[in-house]
Amino acid sequence: MAKIEDLKEEARKLLREGKIKYVIGYAGASNGWMACPIFIKKPEDVEKLVWDPTCVHNLSRFLVDEKRRKEREKQPDKRPVGVFVKGCDSRAIVVLLQEKFIERNDVYILGISCENGGVVDEHRLAGKLEGKKPKKVEVGNKGQFVVTTADGKAEFPVEELLAERCLECRASFPVISDILSGEKLKRTVEKPFGSVEKMEGMPKEEKWRFWKEQIDKCIRCYACRSVCPMCYCDECVVDSINLAVSADTTAEEKADKVKWIQRSAESSENFIYHFVRAIHLAGRCIDCGECKRSCPLDIPIRFLNKKLEKEAKELFGYDVGFDPAQPSLISSFRDDDPEDFIR
Amino acid sequence: MEKILEKRSLQSWVKKLDSWTIYAPRKDENGRWNYGIVQSDSVGLDFTVTTLPPKPLIFPQREVFLEFLKTAGENQETLEVKEVLPGEKPAVILGVRPCDARAISFLDQVFSGDFVDPYYWARRKKTILVGLACLTPPWENCFCLSAEGSPHSEDGLDILLTDLGDRYFVKTLTESGDRLVNEAKALFKEPRPEDKKKVKAVHAQAEQKIVRAIKGAKKDVAAKLKGMFNSPLWDEESMSCIRCGICTYLCPSCHCFDINDEVDSASPLRGKRVRTWDNCQFPDFTMHSSGHNPRPDKASRLRQRIFHKFQYFVEIYDETMCTGCGRCISLCPVGIDIINVLHKVNDHGS
Repeated sequence: MAKIEDLKEEARKLLREGKIKYVIGYAGASNGWMACPIFIKKPEDVEKLVWDPTCVHNLSRFLVDEKRRKEREKQPDKRPVGVFVKGCDSRAIVVLLQEKFIERNDVYILGISCENGGVVDEHRLAGKLEGKKPKKVEVGNKGQFVVTTADGKAEFPVEELLAERCLECRASFPVISDILSGEKLKRTVEKPFGSVEKMEGMPKEEKWRFWKEQIDKCIRCYACRSVCPMCYCDECVVDSINLAVSADTTAEEKADKVKWIQRSAESSENFIYHFVRAIHLAGRCIDCGECKRSCPLDIPIRFLNKKLEKEAKELFGYDVGFDPAQPSLISSFRDDDPEDFIR
Repeated sequence: MEKILEKRSLQSWVKKLDSWTIYAPRKDENGRWNYGIVQSDSVGLDFTVTTLPPKPLIFPQREVFLEFLKTAGENQETLEVKEVLPGEKPAVILGVRPCDARAISFLDQVFSGDFVDPYYWARRKKTILVGLACLTPPWENCFCLSAEGSPHSEDGLDILLTDLGDRYFVKTLTESGDRLVNEAKALFKEPRPEDKKKVKAVHAQAEQKIVRAIKGAKKDVAAKLKGMFNSPLWDEESMSCIRCGICTYLCPSCHCFDINDEVDSASPLRGKRVRTWDNCQFPDFTMHSSGHNPRPDKASRLRQRIFHKFQYFVEIYDETMCTGCGRCISLCPVGIDIINVLHKVNDHGS
């Protein structure tokens, strides 16, 4: 079983020796959920780190902030940062490396294997607890989830509480790490795209109705974009001032800038936003599910990305985020490509 | 006036209110509550907290100010501009939490004063707010008491309902509230002395049940903040912020907006001038046309949010622009907790 103690010892040592700038990990939260991200700079604060099935966040996202911070500072501290990753999160780091957004020595990866578990889904947990508030979720000795509430402990089989993406997970342990806790248990997932296939089976009209209703709920808070480690563009097409404006840009140039998308949260604009994002993540999304989890209106955004992950797999035999040396999907082609236009 | 409405008569009351569009909380398949238009037979007040406050029903995320059309004649161009004012049917929002109603009373102040906002007031004057007192905190992050509100606050409301088991204690607070009761006079009874006693008791009990609180008075926080503009605290507290707009867009009192022209056609030039919500957490918030942004990073954006609510607003209106609804705490994807941030402000330098 994954023991965070080994990783804590390593983190403490690295901080003490000044080999890393800080550690991004998980700590207890005060907002009703059990874990939240924490940034640790002092060895004595390492004690605050926790690891349990409520550590849902993909912390690799904060590597994007660290890169920006370094770019802004005149004399940046270039030491690596330590980051706790699950299997899925490690695949995001692989993509960041593959795209040369970060370099391998920018990061010290503290990997944790989910083994036969994963992280819990907030709604599924709430559904099981019928109004009671969870205080703690642990993995029991038989691999089951043990949930503590004010009324005591209750046990649930993992499948009943796991996030949907964990049920379709293809990396139960980190694919890249500097130190790893837990076993490299290979899991067999019978239907890695099962949830998308279910949706593909819907009649066209029903599918349209479903997505229209979902996308209409969007208030464009951009939590899905903001939480995503792959959404690191300097300028996003949806921001009202997009493309670099400098002191030399003339008024005419500014006025002539194409506005691809309006700020209004209306059907057509919301669709453009979500489709643009989905396309930009094709062959890049590693299904950490953070977009879906963060959405305050529960739009199942993950499906859009999962669909394109499936397309990449079926059309090009492309698996995202396993090998940093692999060229990215959209910047590579094969001589034996069946299509003419590419040659 | 004070009345009693049997719970089983709630739907009959709503049925009589056919001159108004009725909004009430509805639960979706994920267990989330949000306001929607309801028919009398599906009205119920057994809800917790709506993810979105009632704010968008009065101050919508998108509002058309005017329509324009430029046509080229032989010798000259003509520009037609048509003002668009909200023209919806009057509305009743049923089941407004006292914190959310208080937030609307803040919006009332913001959209009044030197610049009276006709768009805001066109809707506001036609909207009647029927509140529901919270007898137990609807979720774990309520802190209305320390935000100078209360679970039975009447601010901003036209009617306050208090659940007394099989009946609601109905207190009307404005003429609009009276009117709503008078639409179905026969359904409302005079309260017995024990009803009045019970209301007082449950209100007092409700206050005892609120667990979370900001320590320190608003004046102290505001004064502390004044000297903290350049504090390293903002960097530290914003480390885990992902720069999404949840805390702000779901806040019942946040009201920043942006105005844009949405062009439908270039020739002839036709389009609309629209107001949309803006969000201090977004990278283009206060971006100057030179490309310079005085708030270039997430630390300065978090600081802006805290300063606006607990310093600038206090200076102008003598109120903190926070009613303790807890949405920004419960719904933050990374667990940033405004109460903790304010405690660190209070402890700063001491």
